[in-house]
Amino acid sequence: MTSVPLVSVFSADDSTKVTAKHIPLPAVFQTPIRPDIVSFVHTNIAKNRRQAHAVNPQAGMQHSAESWGTGRAVARIPRVSGSGTHRSGQAAFGNQCRKGRMSLPIKVWRRWHRRVNIKQKRHAAATAVAATGIVPLVLARGHRISQVPQIPLVVEDKIESYEKTTDALNFLKRFGAFEDVQKVVSTKVVRAGISKQRGKKYRVRKGPLVVYFNENAKLLKAFRNVPGVEVVNVTRLNLLQLAPGGQLGRFVIWTQSAFAHLDKLFGTYRYASVLKDGYQLLRPLLTNPDLARIINSNQVQEKVQPAKTTKVLHEVQKKNPLKNTKAMDRLNPYAKKQRAAATAAIKANTKGTKKIKKNKALKKASRAAFNKVSAALNDATKAAVQEEQDIKVKYFSVQKGAAQAE
Amino acid sequence: MQIDEVVWQVINRGHCSFKIKTISQNFCRNEYNVTGLCSKQSCPLANSQYATIKEEKGLCYLYVKTAERAQKPKELWEKILLSKNYEQALAQIDEQLKYWSNFIIHKNKQRLTKLRQMLIRIRKMRLKGFKELIPIKKKAERRDKIREQKALVAANLENAIEQELIDRLKNGVYNEIMNYNTKAFEKVVGQNQVEDEEEREQQEQEEEEEDYSDEELIFDPNDLEEDDEEDQEDDDEEDDKRLFQKQTFNQLRRDDDEVKDVKKKKPRVKLQYEEEEEVEDRKKQQIAF
Repeated sequence: MTSVPLVSVFSADDSTKVTAKHIPLPAVFQTPIRPDIVSFVHTNIAKNRRQAHAVNPQAGMQHSAESWGTGRAVARIPRVSGSGTHRSGQAAFGNQCRKGRMSLPIKVWRRWHRRVNIKQKRHAAATAVAATGIVPLVLARGHRISQVPQIPLVVEDKIESYEKTTDALNFLKRFGAFEDVQKVVSTKVVRAGISKQRGKKYRVRKGPLVVYFNENAKLLKAFRNVPGVEVVNVTRLNLLQLAPGGQLGRFVIWTQSAFAHLDKLFGTYRYASVLKDGYQLLRPLLTNPDLARIINSNQVQEKVQPAKTTKVLHEVQKKNPLKNTKAMDRLNPYAKKQRAAATAAIKANTKGTKKIKKNKALKKASRAAFNKVSAALNDATKAAVQEEQDIKVKYFSVQKGAAQAE
Repeated sequence: MQIDEVVWQVINRGHCSFKIKTISQNFCRNEYNVTGLCSKQSCPLANSQYATIKEEKGLCYLYVKTAERAQKPKELWEKILLSKNYEQALAQIDEQLKYWSNFIIHKNKQRLTKLRQMLIRIRKMRLKGFKELIPIKKKAERRDKIREQKALVAANLENAIEQELIDRLKNGVYNEIMNYNTKAFEKVVGQNQVEDEEEREQQEQEEEEEDYSDEELIFDPNDLEEDDEEDQEDDDEEDDKRLFQKQTFNQLRRDDDEVKDVKKKKPRVKLQYEEEEEVEDRKKQQIAF
């Protein structure tokens, strides 16, 4: 397990200076990460902020429309009574009709809120806090924390007395948290949809969450105007802020006292929580969830039966032994020797014969001879052809003569 | 607290801001990823022990991450400069990542190779120079072409030419030509034109004054003599205008063919002031007479 049970507290003025070294990590950060609990709790808790709304109950129904019944060559939908206007005789009331009321109109008494078991809510919060201490999760969520000196980031209580926004900004810059704020600023977009007319003009990302402890802290006002930054008291940690969108891993900046308070809030594995009555931190199903490591460990492998070798009928691809020597050798081990003997025999047979070295003179002579022969052949063929022609001529002339004679 | 297995499950099943899903494959946008693909082995987030090669200003660096520094994002990546010699660099990787998983070592070496090849290519391109491809922007091209045409029309060239010719006449450029010694005129004209003797004769016969401007302004004695010539003059004017147009737009092309073409249209003498220098020359010659 790669755990940092010890945490350093940084000085508010100087990110390189550490005011308190080796503070033990609160047990919350050791809680098993349970995205399923967080997801479930988040979806339900997110509904609790909703305000009741409804469609006008009379909408689409303010007619004395009646169906014309059958026999009039029109659909049986209720039609607007009266005359003298386009509207008369038009369909009304149905959800399919133009100007009709919607199907299942929304009522105010819709169940807007969801109750979640306290224990589940607490477990979710604990997991979310634990996830804020895991660097890859915070990175995966999209926070820019590559310049932050430590996660979880704990700072001395001095920041609680910040009154000016400039102080707050400089503090964030010092600790590499400003990159996250910049991300928020640069990705602020006008919201798509009607919500922009309903007071939600911009879609703004979440930046760092600053957690303080003392109720008199002024840092709320100092950080208020920094885009993306949220400020919250430890005692009122909110899952919707710790895991926005149900996504684990918010970038959190703790003050020292807030950090120390976490043990009292959530308790440890040794004792239950003080402030959350009867709450005991969730215990992991596996203390070491690294299954691969477990299976490959010596202790397990010792006890494990040797792997069964499956019987292979033939190789995956059949090789032709007549062409593939290795395949042949597999079938007939003596084939190798046979081949060797054969090659040796060939060598023996050809031992006496010298390799003919073609030299130029020989080539020339042979070529000359060839030319001579071919020339002679050409002449001969020419002569033969000529002879044949002569004969033909003679024959035909004779024939002619004979014909003429006739 | 942080276990790679758990992290991978959360990231993979849940949401990872670096993951890019395509139809066939998943990619990882994380800058420290060795392979660029999204998989458990190559995820820089889900592996507490990880290494990458990155290139900076022509130099390759080995970035190493270990579990000890997992909680300190600022100090997380150790940056080791690799030798410029390829083989030495490979040896360095072997040395730094000794006893690490084969996958990581192999992928790092592959990445190094790829980066070095890329650097070689960059160097080659810089030294040899390369053709920079600029795309043809259809829309822009089309737009410019149309605008050119419109500008051409809007420029009212004919009117401008007419004005120019009138001005020249006023300035006295064509002053002398009015009462011209035909033979002398012929000579001058003949120098600038390649023609047959026949045509020359023809020209001599049908030679007439050039009146480029409004007839109101200048009294042309020739007009009184021959009525035919009036029409010819107008035509001449137009032809000359056309010629002038051609000249200005084709950048003063001294085309004999052009001359001949023009001549083919009308069997007359056409004065072609192809360059203003010639006019001055002619002026001089005129004065000489």
